[in-house]
Amino acid sequence: MTSVAGTAASPAISIRNLFVDYFPRRILTDVNLDIPASQITVIMGQSGAGKTTLLRCMLGLKKPSSGSVHILGTDIVRASRRELNAVRKQMGVAFQGGALFSSMSVAENIQLALREHTSLDEKTIQIMTRIKLDMVNMLAAENLMPSELSGGMTKRAALARAIVMDPKLLFFDEPSAGLDPSTAAELDQLMITLKTTLRMTIIVVTHELDSIFKIADHIAVMANGRVIEFGTPQQIIASANPEIQGMLNRKPRENIVDTDAHLRRLVGG
Amino acid sequence: MRAALEKLGAVVLGWLEHTGRTFNLLLLVTVELLQPPYRFYPVVRQMYFIGARSLTLIVVSGLTIGMVLGLQFYNILQRFGSVDLLGAGVSLSVIRELGPVMTALMVVGRAGSSITAELGIMRITEQIDAMDCMAISPSKYLIGPKLLAGLLSVPLLTMVFDFVALFGGYFVGVVMFGVAEGSYVNGMIDTVEWSDVRIGLEKSLIFGLLVTLICCAEGFYMHLTKAGSQGAEGVSSVTTDAVVLSSIAVLYSDFLIEALF
Amino acid sequence: MECNLKSGAGYDLLELSGEVDLQYSPQLREKILGSLRSGAPLLIDLGRVSYIDSSGIASLVEGFQAAKSAKLPYGLLNISSTALQVLTLTRLDKIFNLYTDAAHFEAQL
Repeated sequence: MTSVAGTAASPAISIRNLFVDYFPRRILTDVNLDIPASQITVIMGQSGAGKTTLLRCMLGLKKPSSGSVHILGTDIVRASRRELNAVRKQMGVAFQGGALFSSMSVAENIQLALREHTSLDEKTIQIMTRIKLDMVNMLAAENLMPSELSGGMTKRAALARAIVMDPKLLFFDEPSAGLDPSTAAELDQLMITLKTTLRMTIIVVTHELDSIFKIADHIAVMANGRVIEFGTPQQIIASANPEIQGMLNRKPRENIVDTDAHLRRLVGG
Repeated sequence: MRAALEKLGAVVLGWLEHTGRTFNLLLLVTVELLQPPYRFYPVVRQMYFIGARSLTLIVVSGLTIGMVLGLQFYNILQRFGSVDLLGAGVSLSVIRELGPVMTALMVVGRAGSSITAELGIMRITEQIDAMDCMAISPSKYLIGPKLLAGLLSVPLLTMVFDFVALFGGYFVGVVMFGVAEGSYVNGMIDTVEWSDVRIGLEKSLIFGLLVTLICCAEGFYMHLTKAGSQGAEGVSSVTTDAVVLSSIAVLYSDFLIEALF
Repeated sequence: MECNLKSGAGYDLLELSGEVDLQYSPQLREKILGSLRSGAPLLIDLGRVSYIDSSGIASLVEGFQAAKSAKLPYGLLNISSTALQVLTLTRLDKIFNLYTDAAHFEAQL
């Protein structure tokens, strides 16, 4: 059975029968997923569920054992280096830790792709950089080095770098991890704006429930290397799958009934 | 018994894979460097990093080694009453052997280790992945300039080392022990042949490439080794590996070149 | 992208159509700055622009700056709603002089 999660309208990314083995473990098992264009799709799941591996397959950083990943019509698993790079110029990626180039200032980080891939005038590059920095509210940090940035600033600079080429697709790995609630909310709002105004397709990988339901148009839930559910936030909430319900309602820790048993757990013997 | 054999097999296979990966990187970068756009500024920057910043170290160690050689040779030659050969002895050993080898080893310690650490950190913080995702080849952008700079800087540094070491020998022999200046210089000119200079130069080219290649590959492919998942500790362990491996590579290839040519 | 520069009526009218992206914005930039160098006020008609990316916006901004320092009137005509959204996103909608009718621009000359 190959049931495909996703919507009918031509998807931005379509993943078929994706397997990833990291001998002797199987990381991804028969992943099928259609990610709709111009919407925000959140890939959620607990640590070790295979989210990061799935993301790396979509970025062309990890070759799957079998299966296909079509991005904007190109199967990047089988694409040549040149074809892959053509697709990558339409993708922006904000990595979890920012992955800013530590030898370059924030502005230089943002400008690198423009300098490498376009023949734009220096003045245009500078204005574009500042427009993007203004979008993430980071204009003042233009000349700082990555080592001088706080966690939230690093994430925002990484986002500015990811969108500098006006990509059709934006990947965001753990946008709100380690951020204070107000910065996280700011980033959530920015993603929604990017979607509505620039019609960007946004793929967010996260396990932070708070922001998921604020931003997601669709949610893919992963567990044990499989996509166990795909649907709108309402559908996910209404899902009868006990695993999903378990993720959504993180139960408080059970009360200590047997004090002796608990003592033994802590002390041993 | 079988377990031991399997373990041995795994080690050998791992080593082969490691070596293959390293030379594959050389091939990849060479092909990429042949394609436009050609950029010279990054090469100059890396030459500054590898070359200019190692200069003090090279001058100091060259002078010391030249002086030690002068002392040693003088003591030995004096017993046979042939101190006239001092210039020949010092210059031959420096130009053919010690110059290229010592320079390469100094570059390993000074620049090689920091190349590995830099690339290793870029790997574990996903900076290399980020570059890949921007459709910029990390091997061309990061490693290409380093390899070219290594290839160019190490021979230049070797020349500096040779020059300073010869001066050190001259200082000990002529200035300190009063060996006739003419016999020192003439001995040098008469014994050292063009082929010696050429072999010294060729060695330094090969060492320069080997050292930078190994140090780059260790950091760049860090994620493929066990150290890849160990964070900062992993970076320090691949850096140590890089220094050990490239030093051995220099010494061993020096032996091979001497034996074959 | 196609751009068509018309002179006359006391100002230059730059008509753009199609997609203004990384590939074409250098051309747009040249046209804008060239026109401003000639000393004429500039009105840019964006009515038939289907897509404008941030490099195109950057060229418009640079032109605006150049016009301002040369004290020349500079306006954008018939900006589409999608392009306007992009301007709003970058908080530039408040900076530019936006017109829906060339006559309003002429009236200000």
